[in-house]
Amino acid sequence: MFICLFLFVGLALAQQTKNIELKFSASFGTDAISLSDTSSFFSKKDSIEISSIRFYCSNIQFLKDGKKVWEEKSSYHLIDIANKNSSKLNLPVPKNLIYDEVKFNLGIDSLTNEMGAMGGDLDPTKGMYWAWNSGYINFKLEGKSNKCKTRNNEFQFHIGGYSLPYNALQLITLPTKYAEKINVDLDITKFLSSINLAEENHIMSPSAKALVMAQNIAKLFSVK
Amino acid sequence: MKKKVLIVICSLLIVFAFKTVTEPLFVVPTKWPKPAYDFTKNPVSVEKVELGRALFYDPILSRDSSVSCASCHSQFTAFTHVDHALSHGINDRIGNRNSPALMNLAWQNKFMWDGAVNHLDVQALAPISNHLEMDEKIENVIKKLQRNNLYKKLFKNAFGDSLATGEHTLKAISQFMLTLVSSNAKYDSVMLGKAKFTEQEKKGYVLFKKNCATCHTEPLFTNASFQNNGLPVDTTLNDIGRMGITHNPSDSLKFKVPTLRNIEFSQPYMHDGRFKKLQEVLKHYVFGVTKSKTLSPHLTKPIMLKPSEQVDIISFLLTLTDKKFLFNQRYSYPKKLFSK
Repeated sequence: MFICLFLFVGLALAQQTKNIELKFSASFGTDAISLSDTSSFFSKKDSIEISSIRFYCSNIQFLKDGKKVWEEKSSYHLIDIANKNSSKLNLPVPKNLIYDEVKFNLGIDSLTNEMGAMGGDLDPTKGMYWAWNSGYINFKLEGKSNKCKTRNNEFQFHIGGYSLPYNALQLITLPTKYAEKINVDLDITKFLSSINLAEENHIMSPSAKALVMAQNIAKLFSVK
Repeated sequence: MKKKVLIVICSLLIVFAFKTVTEPLFVVPTKWPKPAYDFTKNPVSVEKVELGRALFYDPILSRDSSVSCASCHSQFTAFTHVDHALSHGINDRIGNRNSPALMNLAWQNKFMWDGAVNHLDVQALAPISNHLEMDEKIENVIKKLQRNNLYKKLFKNAFGDSLATGEHTLKAISQFMLTLVSSNAKYDSVMLGKAKFTEQEKKGYVLFKKNCATCHTEPLFTNASFQNNGLPVDTTLNDIGRMGITHNPSDSLKFKVPTLRNIEFSQPYMHDGRFKKLQEVLKHYVFGVTKSKTLSPHLTKPIMLKPSEQVDIISFLLTLTDKKFLFNQRYSYPKKLFSK
Protein backbone atom coordinates (compact mmCIF):
# COMPACT_ATOMS: atom_id res chain seq x y z
CA MET A 1 0.00 0.00 0.00
CA PHE A 2 2.67 2.47 1.05
CA ILE A 3 5.01 1.26 -1.67
CA CYS A 4 2.25 1.90 -4.20
CA LEU A 5 1.77 5.35 -2.75
CA PHE A 6 5.48 6.12 -2.99
CA LEU A 7 5.63 4.83 -6.54
CA PHE A 8 2.59 6.87 -7.41
CA VAL A 9 4.00 10.01 -5.82
CA GLY A 10 7.35 9.30 -7.46
CA LEU A 11 5.81 8.96 -10.88
CA ALA A 12 3.69 12.01 -10.29
CA LEU A 13 6.77 14.08 -9.41
CA ALA A 14 8.53 12.87 -12.52
CA GLN A 15 5.61 14.10 -14.58
CA GLN A 16 5.62 17.47 -12.85
CA THR A 17 2.53 17.52 -10.79
CA LYS A 18 0.66 20.02 -8.76
CA ASN A 19 -1.89 19.60 -6.05
CA ILE A 20 -5.48 20.46 -6.52
CA GLU A 21 -7.30 20.93 -3.27
CA LEU A 22 -10.76 19.42 -3.28
CA LYS A 23 -12.59 20.75 -0.26
CA PHE A 24 -15.99 19.71 0.98
CA SER A 25 -18.22 21.98 3.00
CA ALA A 26 -21.79 22.01 4.18
CA SER A 27 -24.21 24.89 4.35
CA PHE A 28 -27.68 25.77 5.36
CA GLY A 29 -28.64 28.26 2.67
CA THR A 30 -26.25 31.15 3.09
CA ASP A 31 -24.92 29.95 6.45
CA ALA A 32 -21.92 27.65 6.57
CA ILE A 33 -22.23 24.62 8.84
CA SER A 34 -18.99 24.23 10.72
CA LEU A 35 -19.77 21.50 13.28
CA SER A 36 -16.39 22.29 14.80
CA ASP A 37 -18.28 23.14 17.97
CA THR A 38 -20.58 20.53 19.36
CA SER A 39 -23.42 21.53 17.07
CA SER A 40 -25.00 24.32 15.07
CA PHE A 41 -28.42 25.84 15.40
CA PHE A 42 -30.60 27.30 12.73
CA SER A 43 -34.11 28.58 12.98
CA LYS A 44 -36.66 29.45 10.41
CA LYS A 45 -40.10 28.00 10.95
CA ASP A 46 -38.68 25.53 13.39
CA SER A 47 -35.32 25.08 14.98
CA ILE A 48 -32.93 22.59 13.49
CA GLU A 49 -29.69 21.41 14.94
CA ILE A 50 -27.20 19.48 12.87
CA SER A 51 -24.81 17.32 14.84
CA SER A 52 -23.13 15.17 12.22
CA ILE A 53 -22.58 15.09 8.47
CA ARG A 54 -20.30 12.31 7.28
CA PHE A 55 -20.03 10.61 3.93
CA TYR A 56 -17.77 8.62 1.64
CA CYS A 57 -16.33 10.27 -1.44
CA SER A 58 -14.73 7.69 -3.73
CA ASN A 59 -13.31 7.28 -7.23
CA ILE A 60 -12.52 10.94 -7.84
CA GLN A 61 -12.09 11.90 -11.50
CA PHE A 62 -11.58 15.00 -13.60
CA LEU A 63 -13.32 15.21 -16.95
CA LYS A 64 -12.85 17.32 -20.04
CA ASP A 65 -15.70 17.44 -22.58
CA GLY A 66 -17.23 14.45 -20.84
CA LYS A 67 -14.07 12.32 -21.09
CA LYS A 68 -12.00 11.18 -18.14
CA VAL A 69 -8.62 12.94 -18.06
CA TRP A 70 -7.51 11.96 -14.53
CA GLU A 71 -8.59 9.67 -11.74
CA GLU A 72 -7.39 8.86 -8.27
CA LYS A 73 -6.88 5.09 -8.16
CA SER A 74 -8.52 3.19 -5.30
CA SER A 75 -9.59 6.38 -3.61
CA TYR A 76 -11.90 6.12 -0.66
CA HIS A 77 -12.25 9.15 1.56
CA LEU A 78 -14.39 9.51 4.61
CA ILE A 79 -15.45 13.15 4.73
CA ASP A 80 -16.47 14.40 8.15
CA ILE A 81 -17.69 17.98 8.05
CA ALA A 82 -16.78 18.30 11.74
CA ASN A 83 -13.17 17.50 10.91
CA LYS A 84 -11.54 20.07 8.62
CA ASN A 85 -8.58 17.83 7.83
CA SER A 86 -10.80 15.05 6.56
CA SER A 87 -12.80 17.36 4.33
CA LYS A 88 -9.79 18.67 2.39
CA LEU A 89 -8.28 16.32 -0.18
CA ASN A 90 -5.06 17.01 -2.01
CA LEU A 91 -5.09 15.52 -5.47
CA PRO A 92 -1.73 15.31 -7.26
CA VAL A 93 -2.55 15.92 -10.93
CA PRO A 94 -0.26 16.59 -13.93
CA LYS A 95 0.66 20.26 -14.16
CA ASN A 96 -0.94 20.78 -17.54
CA LEU A 97 -4.23 19.05 -16.74
CA ILE A 98 -7.26 20.73 -18.26
CA TYR A 99 -10.70 19.80 -17.08
CA ASP A 100 -14.19 21.19 -16.88
CA GLU A 101 -15.89 18.74 -14.54
CA VAL A 102 -15.13 16.93 -11.32
CA LYS A 103 -16.75 13.56 -10.75
CA PHE A 104 -16.94 11.31 -7.69
CA ASN A 105 -19.02 8.58 -6.14
CA LEU A 106 -21.06 9.41 -3.10
CA GLY A 107 -20.57 6.16 -1.20
CA ILE A 108 -18.80 2.85 -1.66
CA ASP A 109 -19.17 0.67 -4.74
CA SER A 110 -20.70 -2.81 -4.47
CA LEU A 111 -17.45 -4.63 -5.25
CA THR A 112 -15.63 -2.95 -2.35
CA ASN A 113 -18.61 -3.65 -0.09
CA GLU A 114 -17.96 -7.38 -0.50
CA MET A 115 -14.20 -7.31 0.01
CA GLY A 116 -14.11 -8.09 3.74
CA ALA A 117 -12.22 -6.10 6.35
CA MET A 118 -10.25 -3.11 5.12
CA GLY A 119 -8.14 -0.41 6.72
CA GLY A 120 -7.75 3.36 6.63
CA ASP A 121 -10.97 5.28 6.00
CA LEU A 122 -12.67 1.96 5.21
CA ASP A 123 -11.91 0.44 8.62
CA PRO A 124 -15.20 -0.73 10.14
CA THR A 125 -14.31 1.14 13.33
CA LYS A 126 -15.03 4.46 11.61
CA GLY A 127 -18.71 4.24 12.49
CA MET A 128 -19.73 3.97 8.84
CA TYR A 129 -20.35 0.23 8.66
CA TRP A 130 -23.44 -1.83 9.33
CA ALA A 131 -22.54 -4.86 11.41
CA TRP A 132 -25.90 -6.64 11.35
CA ASN A 133 -26.40 -6.31 7.60
CA SER A 134 -22.97 -6.03 6.03
CA GLY A 135 -22.25 -2.89 4.10
CA TYR A 136 -20.97 0.64 4.30
CA ILE A 137 -23.10 3.60 5.25
CA ASN A 138 -22.58 5.99 2.34
CA PHE A 139 -23.97 9.08 4.00
CA LYS A 140 -24.87 10.05 7.54
CA LEU A 141 -26.87 13.05 8.64
CA GLU A 142 -27.88 13.41 12.26
CA GLY A 143 -29.45 16.17 14.26
CA LYS A 144 -32.51 17.45 16.07
CA SER A 145 -35.70 19.17 15.05
CA ASN A 146 -38.76 20.33 16.98
CA LYS A 147 -40.83 18.54 14.39
CA CYS A 148 -39.47 15.15 15.38
CA LYS A 149 -41.59 13.57 18.06
CA THR A 150 -38.75 11.18 18.80
CA ARG A 151 -36.50 10.77 21.81
CA ASN A 152 -34.70 14.11 22.28
CA ASN A 153 -36.31 15.23 18.99
CA GLU A 154 -33.55 13.44 17.13
CA PHE A 155 -33.41 12.51 13.48
CA GLN A 156 -30.94 10.06 12.01
CA PHE A 157 -30.43 9.32 8.36
CA HIS A 158 -27.94 6.56 7.67
CA ILE A 159 -28.07 6.05 3.94
CA GLY A 160 -26.46 3.04 2.32
CA GLY A 161 -27.07 -0.27 0.60
CA TYR A 162 -25.03 -1.75 -2.23
CA SER A 163 -27.07 -4.57 -3.69
CA LEU A 164 -29.92 -4.27 -6.14
CA PRO A 165 -32.62 -3.11 -6.09
CA TYR A 166 -31.42 -0.81 -3.30
CA ASN A 167 -27.96 0.21 -4.46
CA ALA A 168 -27.71 3.68 -2.97
CA LEU A 169 -24.35 4.63 -4.55
CA GLN A 170 -24.63 7.98 -6.35
CA LEU A 171 -22.39 9.25 -9.15
CA ILE A 172 -21.97 13.00 -8.90
CA THR A 173 -20.63 15.08 -11.77
CA LEU A 174 -20.21 18.80 -11.23
CA PRO A 175 -19.10 21.48 -13.69
CA THR A 176 -16.13 23.39 -12.38
CA LYS A 177 -13.82 26.08 -13.59
CA TYR A 178 -10.14 25.36 -13.69
CA ALA A 179 -8.82 26.23 -10.22
CA GLU A 180 -6.22 25.18 -7.66
CA LYS A 181 -8.95 24.91 -5.07
CA ILE A 182 -12.32 23.42 -5.69
CA ASN A 183 -14.96 23.82 -3.04
CA VAL A 184 -17.80 21.32 -3.24
CA ASP A 185 -20.65 22.39 -1.04
CA LEU A 186 -23.55 20.38 0.30
CA ASP A 187 -26.57 22.56 0.92
CA ILE A 188 -28.95 20.74 3.19
CA THR A 189 -31.73 23.34 2.99
CA LYS A 190 -33.33 21.60 0.04
CA PHE A 191 -32.97 18.22 1.68
CA LEU A 192 -34.73 19.29 4.84
CA SER A 193 -37.47 21.03 2.90
CA SER A 194 -37.99 17.95 0.73
CA ILE A 195 -38.97 15.74 3.64
CA ASN A 196 -41.47 15.99 6.42
CA LEU A 197 -39.37 15.44 9.52
CA ALA A 198 -42.47 14.91 11.62
CA GLU A 199 -43.11 11.68 9.74
CA GLU A 200 -39.76 10.70 8.35
CA ASN A 201 -37.00 11.00 10.88
CA HIS A 202 -34.89 7.91 10.74
CA ILE A 203 -33.56 5.61 8.07
CA MET A 204 -30.97 3.07 9.11
CA SER A 205 -31.04 0.28 6.55
CA PRO A 206 -31.02 -0.25 2.79
CA SER A 207 -34.52 0.25 1.40
CA ALA A 208 -36.55 1.93 -1.34
CA LYS A 209 -36.85 5.00 0.90
CA ALA A 210 -33.09 5.09 1.46
CA LEU A 211 -32.55 4.91 -2.29
CA VAL A 212 -34.84 7.89 -2.96
CA MET A 213 -33.12 9.81 -0.20
CA ALA A 214 -29.70 9.02 -1.65
CA GLN A 215 -30.85 10.38 -5.00
CA ASN A 216 -32.10 13.56 -3.33
CA ILE A 217 -28.88 14.01 -1.38
CA ALA A 218 -26.82 13.69 -4.57
CA LYS A 219 -28.63 16.75 -5.95
CA LEU A 220 -27.49 18.94 -3.07
CA PHE A 221 -23.84 19.06 -4.10
CA SER A 222 -22.50 21.97 -6.13
CA VAL A 223 -19.18 23.67 -6.80
CA LYS A 224 -19.11 26.98 -5.03
CA MET B 1 28.12 -30.20 28.26
CA LYS B 2 27.18 -26.85 26.78
CA LYS B 3 27.70 -28.26 23.31
CA LYS B 4 25.39 -31.15 24.03
CA VAL B 5 22.65 -28.82 25.22
CA LEU B 6 23.10 -26.75 22.10
CA ILE B 7 22.79 -29.83 19.90
CA VAL B 8 19.63 -30.91 21.71
CA ILE B 9 18.12 -27.45 21.33
CA CYS B 10 19.08 -27.32 17.67
CA SER B 11 17.59 -30.72 16.93
CA LEU B 12 14.42 -29.77 18.81
CA LEU B 13 14.18 -26.60 16.75
CA ILE B 14 14.58 -28.61 13.57
CA VAL B 15 11.87 -31.03 14.71
CA PHE B 16 9.53 -28.12 15.45
CA ALA B 17 10.36 -26.49 12.14
CA PHE B 18 9.41 -29.70 10.35
CA LYS B 19 6.32 -30.02 12.46
CA THR B 20 5.02 -26.69 11.19
CA VAL B 21 5.86 -27.69 7.64
CA THR B 22 4.06 -31.02 7.90
CA GLU B 23 0.95 -29.51 9.47
CA PRO B 24 -0.17 -26.64 7.28
CA LEU B 25 -2.68 -24.23 8.77
CA PHE B 26 -5.10 -24.59 5.91
CA VAL B 27 -5.41 -27.15 3.14
CA VAL B 28 -8.17 -27.86 0.67
CA PRO B 29 -9.13 -31.50 1.32
CA THR B 30 -8.93 -33.93 -1.60
CA LYS B 31 -11.73 -33.48 -4.15
CA TRP B 32 -13.18 -30.48 -2.36
CA PRO B 33 -14.15 -27.36 -4.31
CA LYS B 34 -12.09 -24.19 -4.39
CA PRO B 35 -12.66 -22.05 -1.26
CA ALA B 36 -14.79 -18.95 -1.62
CA TYR B 37 -12.48 -16.98 0.67
CA ASP B 38 -9.80 -14.92 -1.10
CA PHE B 39 -6.63 -15.91 0.76
CA THR B 40 -4.50 -13.50 -1.28
CA LYS B 41 -6.10 -10.61 0.63
CA ASN B 42 -5.42 -12.21 4.00
CA PRO B 43 -2.61 -14.77 3.71
CA VAL B 44 -2.66 -17.25 6.59
CA SER B 45 0.23 -17.20 9.06
CA VAL B 46 0.93 -18.95 12.36
CA GLU B 47 1.06 -15.63 14.21
CA LYS B 48 -2.19 -14.31 12.77
CA VAL B 49 -4.01 -17.54 13.55
CA GLU B 50 -2.63 -17.40 17.10
CA LEU B 51 -3.94 -13.85 17.51
CA GLY B 52 -7.28 -14.86 16.05
CA ARG B 53 -7.51 -17.82 18.39
CA ALA B 54 -6.80 -15.59 21.40
CA LEU B 55 -9.51 -13.15 20.29
CA PHE B 56 -11.97 -15.99 19.71
CA TYR B 57 -11.58 -17.21 23.29
CA ASP B 58 -11.28 -13.81 24.98
CA PRO B 59 -14.35 -12.20 26.62
CA ILE B 60 -12.63 -8.83 26.09
CA LEU B 61 -14.76 -8.61 22.94
CA SER B 62 -17.95 -8.19 24.99
CA ARG B 63 -19.03 -5.01 26.75
CA ASP B 64 -18.56 -6.32 30.29
CA SER B 65 -15.85 -8.86 29.43
CA SER B 66 -18.13 -11.76 30.32
CA VAL B 67 -18.80 -13.47 27.02
CA SER B 68 -16.43 -14.65 24.29
CA CYS B 69 -17.08 -16.11 20.82
CA ALA B 70 -16.42 -19.51 22.37
CA SER B 71 -19.24 -19.00 24.91
CA CYS B 72 -21.72 -19.83 22.16
CA HIS B 73 -19.29 -21.68 19.87
CA SER B 74 -17.68 -24.43 21.88
CA GLN B 75 -15.28 -26.76 20.14
CA PHE B 76 -16.56 -30.04 21.59
CA THR B 77 -19.96 -29.40 20.07
CA ALA B 78 -18.68 -28.40 16.64
CA PHE B 79 -18.43 -24.77 17.71
CA THR B 80 -22.07 -24.27 18.57
CA HIS B 81 -23.98 -23.82 21.83
CA VAL B 82 -25.31 -27.20 22.75
CA ASP B 83 -28.55 -27.48 24.76
CA HIS B 84 -29.39 -23.84 24.08
CA ALA B 85 -32.07 -23.27 21.49
CA LEU B 86 -31.28 -19.55 21.31
CA SER B 87 -27.84 -18.06 21.80
CA HIS B 88 -26.96 -16.17 24.96
CA GLY B 89 -25.35 -12.81 25.53
CA ILE B 90 -24.05 -10.63 28.33
CA ASN B 91 -26.19 -10.31 31.50
CA ASP B 92 -27.91 -13.59 30.58
CA ARG B 93 -29.68 -11.94 27.68
CA ILE B 94 -31.20 -14.41 25.27
CA GLY B 95 -30.91 -13.87 21.54
CA ASN B 96 -33.38 -14.84 18.84
CA ARG B 97 -31.53 -17.50 16.89
CA ASN B 98 -29.65 -20.74 17.44
CA SER B 99 -25.90 -20.18 17.23
CA PRO B 100 -24.61 -21.93 14.12
CA ALA B 101 -21.89 -24.58 14.19
CA LEU B 102 -18.60 -23.23 12.82
CA MET B 103 -16.61 -25.25 10.32
CA ASN B 104 -15.48 -25.14 6.71
CA LEU B 105 -16.21 -21.41 6.64
CA ALA B 106 -13.69 -20.80 3.88
CA TRP B 107 -16.26 -22.28 1.48
CA GLN B 108 -19.05 -19.90 2.42
CA ASN B 109 -19.99 -16.54 0.94
CA LYS B 110 -22.88 -15.57 3.16
CA PHE B 111 -23.00 -15.92 6.93
CA MET B 112 -25.70 -16.07 9.60
CA TRP B 113 -29.05 -17.85 9.20
CA ASP B 114 -30.36 -15.03 7.04
CA GLY B 115 -27.15 -14.34 5.10
CA ALA B 116 -26.92 -10.86 6.63
CA VAL B 117 -23.13 -10.93 6.62
CA ASN B 118 -21.40 -10.84 3.24
CA HIS B 119 -17.82 -11.83 4.12
CA LEU B 120 -16.12 -13.89 6.80
CA ASP B 121 -13.96 -10.89 7.81
CA VAL B 122 -16.93 -8.81 8.87
CA GLN B 123 -18.86 -11.67 10.49
CA ALA B 124 -17.55 -11.02 14.01
CA LEU B 125 -18.93 -7.47 13.92
CA ALA B 126 -22.47 -8.82 14.15
CA PRO B 127 -22.28 -10.71 17.48
CA ILE B 128 -19.96 -8.05 18.94
CA SER B 129 -22.46 -5.25 18.32
CA ASN B 130 -25.70 -7.21 18.84
CA HIS B 131 -27.48 -5.90 21.95
CA LEU B 132 -28.49 -9.44 22.92
CA GLU B 133 -25.01 -10.88 22.44
CA MET B 134 -21.78 -9.00 23.24
CA ASP B 135 -23.39 -5.55 23.12
CA GLU B 136 -20.09 -3.78 22.49
CA LYS B 137 -18.89 -1.26 19.94
CA ILE B 138 -16.02 -2.39 17.75
CA GLU B 139 -14.40 1.01 18.43
CA ASN B 140 -14.28 0.15 22.15
CA VAL B 141 -12.98 -3.35 21.49
CA ILE B 142 -10.08 -1.82 19.56
CA LYS B 143 -9.36 0.64 22.39
CA LYS B 144 -9.28 -2.22 24.92
CA LEU B 145 -6.96 -4.25 22.71
CA GLN B 146 -4.65 -1.26 22.19
CA ARG B 147 -4.21 -0.92 25.95
CA ASN B 148 -3.60 -4.63 26.55
CA ASN B 149 0.02 -5.81 26.77
CA LEU B 150 -0.67 -9.35 25.57
CA TYR B 151 -2.43 -8.03 22.48
CA LYS B 152 0.26 -5.43 21.82
CA LYS B 153 2.65 -8.35 21.52
CA LEU B 154 0.32 -10.55 19.50
CA PHE B 155 -0.53 -7.77 17.05
CA LYS B 156 3.16 -6.96 16.67
CA ASN B 157 3.91 -10.62 15.91
CA ALA B 158 1.03 -10.97 13.51
CA PHE B 159 1.02 -7.69 11.62
CA GLY B 160 4.33 -6.02 12.51
CA ASP B 161 2.43 -3.26 14.30
CA SER B 162 1.48 -3.47 17.96
CA LEU B 163 -1.41 -1.04 17.50
CA ALA B 164 -4.65 -2.95 17.01
CA THR B 165 -6.94 -1.78 14.21
CA GLY B 166 -10.39 -2.91 13.18
CA GLU B 167 -9.04 -4.38 9.96
CA HIS B 168 -6.30 -6.39 11.67
CA THR B 169 -8.56 -7.59 14.48
CA LEU B 170 -11.19 -8.85 12.08
CA LYS B 171 -8.69 -10.42 9.71
CA ALA B 172 -7.06 -12.30 12.58
CA ILE B 173 -10.40 -13.68 13.79
CA SER B 174 -11.06 -14.75 10.20
CA GLN B 175 -7.74 -16.56 10.09
CA PHE B 176 -8.58 -18.67 13.11
CA MET B 177 -12.04 -19.45 11.74
CA LEU B 178 -10.57 -20.38 8.35
CA THR B 179 -8.45 -23.06 9.99
CA LEU B 180 -11.58 -24.78 11.35
CA VAL B 181 -11.76 -27.40 8.63
CA SER B 182 -13.64 -30.61 9.32
CA SER B 183 -12.80 -33.25 6.72
CA ASN B 184 -11.80 -36.30 8.74
CA ALA B 185 -15.08 -38.02 9.45
CA LYS B 186 -15.69 -41.70 8.74
CA TYR B 187 -17.60 -40.53 5.67
CA ASP B 188 -14.39 -38.94 4.33
CA SER B 189 -12.36 -42.10 4.93
CA VAL B 190 -15.00 -44.11 3.06
CA MET B 191 -14.89 -41.68 0.15
CA LEU B 192 -11.11 -42.00 0.03
CA GLY B 193 -11.41 -45.80 0.07
CA LYS B 194 -9.79 -46.07 3.48
CA ALA B 195 -12.85 -47.37 5.37
CA LYS B 196 -16.19 -49.01 4.71
CA PHE B 197 -19.73 -48.12 5.68
CA THR B 198 -21.73 -50.69 7.63
CA GLU B 199 -24.76 -52.11 5.81
CA GLN B 200 -27.04 -49.71 7.66
CA GLU B 201 -24.85 -46.69 6.95
CA LYS B 202 -24.75 -47.67 3.29
CA LYS B 203 -28.54 -47.86 3.13
CA GLY B 204 -28.72 -44.54 4.90
CA TYR B 205 -26.29 -42.97 2.43
CA VAL B 206 -28.39 -44.09 -0.54
CA LEU B 207 -31.55 -42.69 1.05
CA PHE B 208 -29.71 -39.51 1.98
CA LYS B 209 -28.55 -38.95 -1.59
CA LYS B 210 -32.09 -39.46 -2.85
CA ASN B 211 -33.91 -37.31 -0.31
CA CYS B 212 -31.57 -34.79 1.29
CA ALA B 213 -28.51 -34.18 -0.86
CA THR B 214 -30.05 -31.56 -3.18
CA CYS B 215 -29.63 -29.01 -0.39
CA HIS B 216 -27.16 -30.83 1.86
CA THR B 217 -24.72 -31.34 -0.98
CA GLU B 218 -21.49 -33.29 -0.54
CA PRO B 219 -18.74 -32.80 0.41
CA LEU B 220 -19.71 -29.71 2.46
CA PHE B 221 -23.21 -31.04 3.16
CA THR B 222 -24.73 -27.70 2.29
CA ASN B 223 -25.32 -25.98 -1.03
CA ALA B 224 -25.14 -22.63 0.78
CA SER B 225 -28.61 -21.66 -0.46
CA PHE B 226 -31.52 -20.18 1.48
CA GLN B 227 -34.57 -22.39 1.79
CA ASN B 228 -37.91 -22.49 3.52
CA ASN B 229 -37.93 -26.03 4.86
CA GLY B 230 -41.55 -25.95 5.95
CA LEU B 231 -41.16 -25.25 9.65
CA PRO B 232 -44.37 -23.83 11.10
CA VAL B 233 -43.73 -20.23 12.19
CA ASP B 234 -42.89 -19.89 15.87
CA THR B 235 -45.21 -17.05 16.85
CA THR B 236 -43.08 -16.16 19.87
CA LEU B 237 -40.31 -15.17 17.46
CA ASN B 238 -42.02 -14.47 14.10
CA ASP B 239 -38.69 -14.75 12.35
CA ILE B 240 -39.06 -14.03 8.62
CA GLY B 241 -35.47 -15.09 7.87
CA ARG B 242 -33.77 -13.95 4.67
CA MET B 243 -36.59 -11.52 3.84
CA GLY B 244 -35.50 -9.38 6.76
CA ILE B 245 -32.33 -8.67 4.81
CA THR B 246 -33.50 -8.55 1.19
CA HIS B 247 -37.03 -7.14 1.82
CA ASN B 248 -38.06 -9.51 -0.94
CA PRO B 249 -41.32 -11.38 -0.13
CA SER B 250 -40.05 -14.38 -2.09
CA ASP B 251 -37.38 -14.77 0.62
CA SER B 252 -39.89 -15.01 3.44
CA LEU B 253 -39.16 -17.78 5.97
CA LYS B 254 -35.98 -18.80 4.17
CA PHE B 255 -32.89 -19.68 6.18
CA LYS B 256 -29.44 -20.81 5.21
CA VAL B 257 -29.01 -24.53 4.67
CA PRO B 258 -26.63 -25.60 7.45
CA THR B 259 -23.87 -28.16 7.03
CA LEU B 260 -24.62 -31.60 8.48
CA ARG B 261 -21.03 -32.35 9.39
CA ASN B 262 -20.67 -33.15 13.11
CA ILE B 263 -24.46 -33.03 13.39
CA GLU B 264 -24.28 -35.69 16.12
CA PHE B 265 -22.84 -33.08 18.49
CA SER B 266 -24.40 -29.82 17.31
CA GLN B 267 -27.92 -30.11 18.72
CA PRO B 268 -30.35 -28.42 19.00
CA TYR B 269 -31.31 -28.11 15.36
CA MET B 270 -32.91 -25.48 13.09
CA HIS B 271 -32.54 -21.67 13.20
CA ASP B 272 -34.51 -21.49 16.43
CA GLY B 273 -33.15 -24.70 17.93
CA ARG B 274 -36.63 -26.22 18.13
CA PHE B 275 -35.49 -29.85 17.69
CA LYS B 276 -33.29 -31.54 20.24
CA LYS B 277 -32.91 -34.87 18.50
CA LEU B 278 -32.14 -35.99 14.97
CA GLN B 279 -35.25 -38.21 15.12
CA GLU B 280 -37.36 -35.08 15.46
CA VAL B 281 -35.65 -33.54 12.43
CA LEU B 282 -36.35 -36.61 10.31
CA LYS B 283 -39.96 -36.67 11.52
CA HIS B 284 -40.35 -33.05 10.52
CA TYR B 285 -39.33 -33.80 6.94
CA VAL B 286 -41.63 -36.81 6.73
CA PHE B 287 -44.72 -35.54 8.55
CA GLY B 288 -44.29 -31.91 9.54
CA VAL B 289 -43.56 -29.86 6.41
CA THR B 290 -45.97 -26.90 6.35
CA LYS B 291 -47.00 -25.64 2.94
CA SER B 292 -46.54 -21.95 2.13
CA LYS B 293 -45.78 -19.75 -0.89
CA THR B 294 -42.04 -19.84 -0.36
CA LEU B 295 -41.69 -23.53 0.57
CA SER B 296 -38.59 -25.08 -0.98
CA PRO B 297 -39.53 -26.66 -4.34
CA HIS B 298 -37.64 -29.75 -3.15
CA LEU B 299 -40.12 -30.26 -0.33
CA THR B 300 -43.43 -29.78 -2.11
CA LYS B 301 -43.74 -33.54 -2.62
CA PRO B 302 -43.72 -35.37 0.71
CA ILE B 303 -40.56 -37.25 1.63
CA MET B 304 -41.65 -40.82 2.23
CA LEU B 305 -39.41 -42.56 4.74
CA LYS B 306 -40.35 -45.56 6.83
CA PRO B 307 -39.27 -45.42 10.48
CA SER B 308 -36.51 -47.94 9.75
CA GLU B 309 -35.31 -45.81 6.85
CA GLN B 310 -35.17 -42.76 9.09
CA VAL B 311 -32.95 -44.73 11.43
CA ASP B 312 -30.75 -45.69 8.47
CA ILE B 313 -30.32 -42.04 7.50
CA ILE B 314 -29.40 -41.15 11.06
CA SER B 315 -26.81 -43.91 11.13
CA PHE B 316 -25.31 -42.38 7.98
CA LEU B 317 -25.39 -38.89 9.53
CA LEU B 318 -23.35 -40.19 12.44
CA THR B 319 -20.55 -41.01 9.99
CA LEU B 320 -20.16 -37.24 9.55
CA THR B 321 -18.73 -36.95 13.05
CA ASP B 322 -15.10 -35.80 12.92
CA LYS B 323 -13.44 -36.53 16.26
CA LYS B 324 -10.12 -35.15 15.05
CA PHE B 325 -11.86 -31.84 14.49
CA LEU B 326 -13.78 -31.86 17.76
CA PHE B 327 -10.67 -32.55 19.81
CA ASN B 328 -7.96 -30.86 17.74
CA GLN B 329 -5.81 -28.96 20.26
CA ARG B 330 -4.98 -26.32 17.69
CA TYR B 331 -8.57 -25.12 18.01
CA SER B 332 -8.88 -25.29 21.78
CA TYR B 333 -8.66 -22.63 24.50
CA PRO B 334 -5.13 -21.14 24.31
CA LYS B 335 -4.30 -21.80 27.96
CA LYS B 336 -0.59 -21.11 27.63
CA LEU B 337 -1.14 -17.77 25.97
CA PHE B 338 -3.56 -16.50 28.60
CA SER B 339 -1.58 -17.79 31.59
CA LYS B 340 1.53 -15.82 30.64
